[in-house]
Amino acid sequence: MKRSLLPILCCPVCKGDLELRVVEEKEDDIIEGSLLCGACGVEYPIREGIPNLLPPADQD
Amino acid sequence: MSLFSRSPDDQVYQPAEDTFLLRDAALDEVRPDDRVLEVGCGSGTVIAALRERAAAVVATDINPHAVGAGQSLGVETVRTDLFAGLKGPFDLVLFNPPYLPTLPEERIDDWLEYALDGGPTGRVTIERFAEEVGRVLAPYGRILLLISSLTGPDEVRQLFADLGYTVLLVAREEVEGEELLVLRISRDLCTCRA
Repeated sequence: MKRSLLPILCCPVCKGDLELRVVEEKEDDIIEGSLLCGACGVEYPIREGIPNLLPPADQD
Repeated sequence: MSLFSRSPDDQVYQPAEDTFLLRDAALDEVRPDDRVLEVGCGSGTVIAALRERAAAVVATDINPHAVGAGQSLGVETVRTDLFAGLKGPFDLVLFNPPYLPTLPEERIDDWLEYALDGGPTGRVTIERFAEEVGRVLAPYGRILLLISSLTGPDEVRQLFADLGYTVLLVAREEVEGEELLVLRISRDLCTCRA
Protein backbone atom coordinates (compact mmCIF):
# COMPACT_ATOMS: atom_id res chain seq x y z
CA MET A 1 0.00 0.00 0.00
CA LYS A 2 1.02 3.55 -0.66
CA ARG A 3 1.55 5.82 2.32
CA SER A 4 -1.07 8.10 0.79
CA LEU A 5 -3.69 5.44 1.56
CA LEU A 6 -3.25 5.80 5.34
CA PRO A 7 -5.53 8.84 5.86
CA ILE A 8 -8.52 7.03 4.35
CA LEU A 9 -8.08 3.86 6.41
CA CYS A 10 -9.62 3.25 9.82
CA CYS A 11 -10.02 0.50 12.37
CA PRO A 12 -12.73 -1.83 11.02
CA VAL A 13 -14.20 -2.14 14.51
CA CYS A 14 -14.05 1.27 16.25
CA LYS A 15 -13.43 3.39 13.08
CA GLY A 16 -10.55 5.16 14.84
CA ASP A 17 -7.25 6.18 13.25
CA LEU A 18 -4.53 3.61 12.63
CA GLU A 19 -0.83 3.96 13.29
CA LEU A 20 1.44 2.72 10.49
CA ARG A 21 4.40 0.48 11.36
CA VAL A 22 6.72 -0.24 8.46
CA VAL A 23 8.87 -3.36 8.19
CA GLU A 24 9.70 -3.17 4.49
CA GLU A 25 9.18 -0.25 2.13
CA LYS A 26 10.03 0.28 -1.54
CA GLU A 27 9.86 3.95 -2.53
CA ASP A 28 6.55 5.01 -0.93
CA ASP A 29 5.02 1.54 -1.13
CA ILE A 30 4.68 -0.35 2.16
CA ILE A 31 5.32 -4.03 1.39
CA GLU A 32 5.37 -5.48 4.91
CA GLY A 33 4.24 -3.88 8.14
CA SER A 34 1.15 -3.34 10.17
CA LEU A 35 -1.57 -0.91 11.13
CA LEU A 36 -2.16 -0.52 14.84
CA CYS A 37 -5.43 0.51 16.42
CA GLY A 38 -4.34 1.89 19.77
CA ALA A 39 -7.90 2.14 21.07
CA CYS A 40 -8.67 -1.56 20.43
CA GLY A 41 -5.10 -2.72 20.99
CA VAL A 42 -5.19 -4.67 17.70
CA GLU A 43 -2.47 -4.82 15.07
CA TYR A 44 -3.63 -5.42 11.49
CA PRO A 45 -1.02 -6.90 9.15
CA ILE A 46 0.19 -5.50 5.83
CA ARG A 47 1.51 -8.39 3.73
CA GLU A 48 2.75 -8.29 0.15
CA GLY A 49 1.55 -4.70 -0.03
CA ILE A 50 -2.04 -5.37 1.01
CA PRO A 51 -3.47 -4.29 4.39
CA ASN A 52 -5.71 -6.87 6.00
CA LEU A 53 -8.40 -4.99 7.90
CA LEU A 54 -10.52 -7.95 8.90
CA PRO A 55 -11.32 -8.05 12.62
CA PRO A 56 -9.09 -10.55 14.47
CA ALA A 57 -11.91 -13.13 14.75
CA ASP A 58 -12.26 -13.22 10.95
CA GLN A 59 -8.55 -13.41 10.09
CA ASP A 60 -7.44 -16.69 8.55
CA MET B 1 -25.55 -20.22 -13.28
CA SER B 2 -23.65 -19.73 -16.48
CA LEU B 3 -22.47 -16.25 -15.57
CA PHE B 4 -19.06 -17.35 -14.46
CA SER B 5 -16.51 -19.85 -15.59
CA ARG B 6 -14.78 -21.88 -12.97
CA SER B 7 -11.84 -24.18 -12.52
CA PRO B 8 -10.84 -25.99 -9.31
CA ASP B 9 -8.28 -23.38 -8.32
CA ASP B 10 -10.39 -20.47 -9.48
CA GLN B 11 -11.28 -18.53 -6.35
CA VAL B 12 -12.15 -15.18 -7.90
CA TYR B 13 -15.35 -14.27 -9.75
CA GLN B 14 -14.35 -13.94 -13.37
CA PRO B 15 -15.51 -10.98 -15.48
CA ALA B 16 -18.92 -11.59 -17.02
CA GLU B 17 -21.85 -9.60 -18.43
CA ASP B 18 -22.54 -7.94 -15.07
CA THR B 19 -18.90 -6.88 -14.73
CA PHE B 20 -18.87 -5.22 -18.13
CA LEU B 21 -22.24 -3.52 -17.62
CA LEU B 22 -21.03 -1.95 -14.36
CA ARG B 23 -17.66 -1.01 -15.90
CA ASP B 24 -19.31 0.79 -18.81
CA ALA B 25 -21.76 2.59 -16.51
CA ALA B 26 -18.84 3.63 -14.30
CA LEU B 27 -16.88 4.96 -17.28
CA ASP B 28 -19.93 7.09 -18.18
CA GLU B 29 -20.34 8.31 -14.60
CA VAL B 30 -16.79 9.01 -13.43
CA ARG B 31 -15.42 12.54 -13.24
CA PRO B 32 -11.71 13.44 -13.29
CA ASP B 33 -11.71 14.72 -9.69
CA ASP B 34 -13.55 11.72 -8.24
CA ARG B 35 -12.15 9.61 -5.40
CA VAL B 36 -13.50 6.20 -6.36
CA LEU B 37 -14.06 3.11 -4.21
CA GLU B 38 -15.04 -0.27 -5.59
CA VAL B 39 -16.47 -2.56 -2.93
CA GLY B 40 -15.96 -6.26 -3.62
CA CYS B 41 -13.67 -5.78 -6.62
CA GLY B 42 -13.32 -9.47 -7.55
CA SER B 43 -11.02 -9.68 -10.58
CA GLY B 44 -10.42 -5.90 -10.46
CA THR B 45 -11.74 -5.44 -14.00
CA VAL B 46 -14.10 -2.56 -13.17
CA ILE B 47 -11.84 -0.45 -10.95
CA ALA B 48 -8.76 -0.95 -13.14
CA ALA B 49 -10.68 0.59 -16.05
CA LEU B 50 -11.10 3.81 -14.01
CA ARG B 51 -7.47 4.21 -12.92
CA GLU B 52 -6.63 6.84 -15.54
CA ARG B 53 -10.05 8.49 -15.37
CA ALA B 54 -10.29 9.49 -11.71
CA ALA B 55 -8.24 11.38 -9.12
CA ALA B 56 -7.79 8.24 -6.98
CA VAL B 57 -9.09 4.69 -6.97
CA VAL B 58 -9.12 2.07 -4.24
CA ALA B 59 -10.77 -1.34 -4.04
CA THR B 60 -11.78 -3.73 -1.29
CA ASP B 61 -12.65 -7.39 -1.15
CA ILE B 62 -13.01 -9.91 1.66
CA ASN B 63 -11.45 -12.55 -0.60
CA PRO B 64 -7.62 -12.64 -0.38
CA HIS B 65 -7.37 -13.86 -3.98
CA ALA B 66 -9.46 -10.92 -5.20
CA VAL B 67 -7.39 -8.21 -3.48
CA GLY B 68 -4.32 -9.88 -5.01
CA ALA B 69 -5.96 -9.76 -8.45
CA GLY B 70 -6.78 -6.07 -8.06
CA GLN B 71 -3.26 -5.29 -6.92
CA SER B 72 -1.80 -7.09 -9.94
CA LEU B 73 -3.78 -4.66 -12.14
CA GLY B 74 -2.13 -1.72 -10.38
CA VAL B 75 -5.01 -0.85 -8.05
CA GLU B 76 -4.54 -0.10 -4.34
CA THR B 77 -6.51 -2.80 -2.55
CA VAL B 78 -7.56 -3.38 1.04
CA ARG B 79 -8.82 -6.67 2.42
CA THR B 80 -11.88 -5.82 4.47
CA ASP B 81 -15.61 -6.53 4.76
CA LEU B 82 -17.41 -4.07 2.44
CA PHE B 83 -15.78 -0.76 3.56
CA ALA B 84 -15.34 -1.59 7.26
CA GLY B 85 -11.67 -0.50 7.30
CA LEU B 86 -12.14 2.62 5.19
CA LYS B 87 -12.92 6.14 6.28
CA GLY B 88 -13.55 7.83 2.95
CA PRO B 89 -14.97 10.14 1.85
CA PHE B 90 -15.53 8.81 -1.67
CA ASP B 91 -17.23 10.65 -4.51
CA LEU B 92 -18.12 7.49 -6.39
CA VAL B 93 -18.74 4.06 -4.86
CA LEU B 94 -19.15 1.04 -7.14
CA PHE B 95 -20.59 -2.28 -5.99
CA ASN B 96 -21.41 -5.46 -7.86
CA PRO B 97 -22.73 -7.30 -4.81
CA PRO B 98 -23.56 -10.92 -4.21
CA TYR B 99 -27.11 -10.64 -5.53
CA LEU B 100 -28.33 -14.16 -6.24
CA PRO B 101 -31.04 -15.52 -3.96
CA THR B 102 -29.38 -18.53 -2.32
CA LEU B 103 -30.93 -21.04 0.04
CA PRO B 104 -28.81 -22.55 2.81
CA GLU B 105 -28.75 -25.96 1.04
CA GLU B 106 -27.45 -24.32 -2.14
CA ARG B 107 -24.41 -22.81 -0.46
CA ILE B 108 -21.02 -23.93 -1.76
CA ASP B 109 -18.87 -22.58 1.07
CA ASP B 110 -15.78 -21.25 -0.66
CA TRP B 111 -14.51 -17.83 -1.72
CA LEU B 112 -16.82 -17.69 -4.73
CA GLU B 113 -19.68 -18.02 -2.29
CA TYR B 114 -18.98 -14.48 -1.10
CA ALA B 115 -19.19 -13.21 -4.66
CA LEU B 116 -22.57 -14.78 -5.38
CA ASP B 117 -24.61 -15.59 -2.29
CA GLY B 118 -27.14 -12.88 -1.55
CA GLY B 119 -28.92 -14.92 1.10
CA PRO B 120 -32.50 -16.18 0.72
CA THR B 121 -33.75 -12.85 -0.72
CA GLY B 122 -30.62 -11.98 -2.70
CA ARG B 123 -30.48 -8.72 -0.74
CA VAL B 124 -28.71 -9.60 2.51
CA THR B 125 -25.40 -7.96 1.62
CA ILE B 126 -27.09 -5.08 -0.23
CA GLU B 127 -29.08 -4.28 2.93
CA ARG B 128 -25.89 -4.11 5.00
CA PHE B 129 -24.24 -1.96 2.33
CA ALA B 130 -27.22 0.41 2.21
CA GLU B 131 -27.31 0.89 5.99
CA GLU B 132 -23.61 1.73 6.24
CA VAL B 133 -22.50 3.36 2.98
CA GLY B 134 -23.42 6.86 4.16
CA ARG B 135 -20.40 6.77 6.47
CA VAL B 136 -17.93 6.71 3.54
CA LEU B 137 -19.92 8.59 0.88
CA ALA B 138 -19.12 12.27 0.26
CA PRO B 139 -22.15 14.59 0.62
CA TYR B 140 -22.64 14.78 -3.15
CA GLY B 141 -21.29 11.30 -3.74
CA ARG B 142 -22.88 8.78 -6.08
CA ILE B 143 -23.20 5.02 -5.89
CA LEU B 144 -23.46 2.67 -8.85
CA LEU B 145 -25.02 -0.61 -7.73
CA LEU B 146 -25.43 -3.60 -10.02
CA ILE B 147 -28.42 -5.82 -9.35
CA SER B 148 -30.46 -8.44 -11.20
CA SER B 149 -34.16 -8.82 -11.81
CA LEU B 150 -33.75 -11.84 -9.49
CA THR B 151 -32.70 -9.50 -6.65
CA GLY B 152 -36.05 -7.71 -6.40
CA PRO B 153 -35.33 -4.31 -8.00
CA ASP B 154 -38.41 -2.66 -6.48
CA GLU B 155 -37.38 -3.78 -3.00
CA VAL B 156 -33.84 -2.49 -3.55
CA ARG B 157 -35.15 0.89 -4.72
CA GLN B 158 -37.43 1.10 -1.69
CA LEU B 159 -34.62 0.13 0.66
CA PHE B 160 -32.48 3.06 -0.49
CA ALA B 161 -35.45 5.45 -0.71
CA ASP B 162 -36.32 4.70 2.92
CA LEU B 163 -32.76 5.63 3.88
CA GLY B 164 -33.04 9.02 2.14
CA TYR B 165 -31.46 8.27 -1.22
CA THR B 166 -32.60 9.01 -4.75
CA VAL B 167 -32.39 6.03 -7.11
CA LEU B 168 -32.16 6.17 -10.90
CA LEU B 169 -31.83 3.35 -13.43
CA VAL B 170 -28.83 4.10 -15.68
CA ALA B 171 -28.16 0.81 -17.51
CA ARG B 172 -29.91 -2.47 -18.24
CA GLU B 173 -29.14 -5.63 -20.16
CA GLU B 174 -31.01 -8.88 -20.78
CA VAL B 175 -28.96 -12.01 -20.17
CA GLU B 176 -30.26 -15.56 -20.23
CA GLY B 177 -33.57 -15.26 -18.41
CA GLU B 178 -32.65 -12.38 -16.15
CA GLU B 179 -32.14 -8.68 -16.51
CA LEU B 180 -29.08 -6.91 -15.15
CA LEU B 181 -29.61 -3.36 -13.91
CA VAL B 182 -27.29 -0.59 -12.78
CA LEU B 183 -28.80 1.80 -10.24
CA ARG B 184 -27.35 5.26 -9.62
CA ILE B 185 -27.93 6.19 -6.00
CA SER B 186 -27.28 9.55 -4.37
CA ARG B 187 -28.47 11.39 -1.29
CA ASP B 188 -31.81 13.07 -1.73
CA LEU B 189 -30.68 16.61 -0.95
CA CYS B 190 -33.85 18.27 -2.24
CA THR B 191 -36.33 16.73 0.14
CA CYS B 192 -36.56 18.03 3.66
CA ARG B 193 -36.71 14.87 5.70
CA ALA B 194 -38.20 14.87 9.15
